[in-house]
Amino acid sequence: MTLRARSNPRPIHSGRSTLTFLSPWLVSFGLFWLFPLAFSLVLSFMEFNPLRPDLARFVGLANFGAAVGDPLFWTSLRNTLVFVVGTVPVTTLIAFFLAVALNRKIPFRSFYRAGFFVPSIVSVVVISIVFKQLYSPAGLVNKVVELFGGDPRSWLGEPGTALLSIMAMDVWSSFGYYTILFLAGLQGIPPELYEAAVLDGSGFWGTLRFVTVPMLRPITLFVVVINTIRSFQIFIEIFVMTRGGPLNSTLTSVFYLYDRAFYRFEMGYASAVGYLLFAVIMAFSFLQMRYLRVGRGAAE
Amino acid sequence: MKSPSVESTRAVPVRRRIESVLRGFRAGVRSGARICLAAGVPAGVRAPASACVGSACVASVCVLALALSGASCQKQSGTKIVFWQFWSADVINPIIAQFEKANPGITVEMQQLTWQNGFEKIVAAVSSGTQPDLCELGSTWVPKFAADGVLADLTSDVADMRDDYLFWDSCTLNDTVFGIPWVAGTRALFYNKELFAKAGLDPEKPPKTWAELSACAKKIHASAAGVYGFGLNTGERYILFKKFMPLAWGNGGAVLTADMRRPALYSVQNIQALDFYRSLKPYSLVEKQDVLDMAFKQGKLGMMISGGWNLSTVPSDAPQLKFGVALVPRPAAGRGSHASFAGSEILVTFAKSKHKAEALKLARFLVSRDNVIALSRAAKSVQPALRGAEDDPYYETHPLERTFVIQLKTAVAPPAHPKWVEIEDEIDAAVEEVLYDRKASGEALLDAHKKIEDIISRP
Repeated sequence: MTLRARSNPRPIHSGRSTLTFLSPWLVSFGLFWLFPLAFSLVLSFMEFNPLRPDLARFVGLANFGAAVGDPLFWTSLRNTLVFVVGTVPVTTLIAFFLAVALNRKIPFRSFYRAGFFVPSIVSVVVISIVFKQLYSPAGLVNKVVELFGGDPRSWLGEPGTALLSIMAMDVWSSFGYYTILFLAGLQGIPPELYEAAVLDGSGFWGTLRFVTVPMLRPITLFVVVINTIRSFQIFIEIFVMTRGGPLNSTLTSVFYLYDRAFYRFEMGYASAVGYLLFAVIMAFSFLQMRYLRVGRGAAE
Repeated sequence: MKSPSVESTRAVPVRRRIESVLRGFRAGVRSGARICLAAGVPAGVRAPASACVGSACVASVCVLALALSGASCQKQSGTKIVFWQFWSADVINPIIAQFEKANPGITVEMQQLTWQNGFEKIVAAVSSGTQPDLCELGSTWVPKFAADGVLADLTSDVADMRDDYLFWDSCTLNDTVFGIPWVAGTRALFYNKELFAKAGLDPEKPPKTWAELSACAKKIHASAAGVYGFGLNTGERYILFKKFMPLAWGNGGAVLTADMRRPALYSVQNIQALDFYRSLKPYSLVEKQDVLDMAFKQGKLGMMISGGWNLSTVPSDAPQLKFGVALVPRPAAGRGSHASFAGSEILVTFAKSKHKAEALKLARFLVSRDNVIALSRAAKSVQPALRGAEDDPYYETHPLERTFVIQLKTAVAPPAHPKWVEIEDEIDAAVEEVLYDRKASGEALLDAHKKIEDIISRP
């Protein structure tokens, strides 16, 4: 705060013009984010059918109680947790090592950088539709499996493989973005540190362990937290590819609440589920901030 | 434009001011990002999203302004009715143009909805009081809207039409009629004639009974590697019951009792049907609808129960494929019926709509014999909800579409229960549990039966 005040000698005047220039964003943020956020908090304590707003009534914590008592809620939460725990570490590791590789002087470096980034600028819906075809019984994945002598299967049609298939797709489609973030972090590491490490006789793994990893800790924290939050909200892929099936094996929390809100008109219940998910995400982010931040001071 | 000299003297303070604004802007973005993060939303994702919403907002204000100015112009010339429907403009606009020509003084503002988000859009419009005058609804949505009291009662308005149209049950709740049946879609048996021939079967004799269906599926599956006899739907909700219930209905089964007060799912007829459905699995491709459609087009699927959309998509995507359409097989010769799933599209007007009389006029025009047949011909995926449509000269020269029209006569519409969406979910779950061997047919149906009992008894 002191830093900002010092660099800004006329705070009142600039505050007014700042507000003016910010107003389009502030209005849309307030209208489309802050208001719905508050509104859904109120809704989570109500029984609310959008077709019959006149019948809305407060039910206290009944929605939360019903959610905790619904086995499908726990199924959806378990699937979501499997998704998060299964994809975030894999994506982070791939992105990290790829960034280290792409930071070295290799031929066609910018070609690779661009290539790995491409999936993250493609619409999730497009990726989901393409992968739906790849995973289909006559699709490319089965062709490859047969080539290696395996049995073709219906990847999205079997409860055992559907979620795993979507997780694999998610890793593929997202690691490029995080690779670029890690690359940016790597380029901020002073080369003197590496020179000193070489002089001290440190090998590749030693340098990685004692220079790269600690120096990248802030960006790692950012990548892990952002990716965790995004993964908890997995919805489009499910909506396009499986709609929660088969046998609820891909039913995730956001899809579950969407189903309740827009097919069964239980807006209050869906809002309660949304806030329960919010609590879970908050807890996760808090834990990550707490444990990944250790040692940050040493790096700085 | 200011002269260059003025520009240069002002340049420094202006730049400084811009810088201070930018500083503030950056700070704002930072704090915004922090708020987004706290709200469990990645800032990188949300910031552009809110920008999009902002620009969409501006755009919609412009559109609104245009619409308002348009409305004020049209007010002098007569009534304007708003009509929401799901057909593409080139299919529906010629019919609307004819209506406007025949009814000077009424203009129709048509808006096209999509099946992906139309439902949400209608719900939002009804709850905010911006509902259209006339609206097309899927038949499974009608009971829910009717039970919530948002649809206009049309019982006396349509009394003279009842004998000429089918599917009144789908738009009737407690003896009150809430809509007019427009078009209907059903499911029939599609079969690949070449695969039939290769398997040593007569391509002109599709299976008529369960036993024949099973035998054909077995032979086709055995005829070549990577070829499946039948397509079993799975992995998608809201679709499975449309494939299983035709067999159950054909066997005399039901979901609810006739008065819709109690479930009827746990019955010998339904268990037999589900056992038979499960017995097809060894020769079948177990997949989602679009994958089954794709496999059929690729010539890898012998038979599937699917909808009228294939009548236009299969010839256009796979012109060389020789296929036939037959009625859904019945349990045995002389026993049961060739039942199928029937879904219809219903024209409704809302209790709060402003121009009900004009909307009804348009509805009557749309469902009139010539117009509804013209629409069905253009769309191919649906058939008229009209009694005796199969005798129309068009269907006599189009046998595949005629099969669909005939199939409609023995097709069953799901019970018009306000909680049907929840009820069908339980049927879907039971079918999946049996297909994946989690439960036996009787156990799965009994569990679903009990859950449906809970759903119905809940207020």
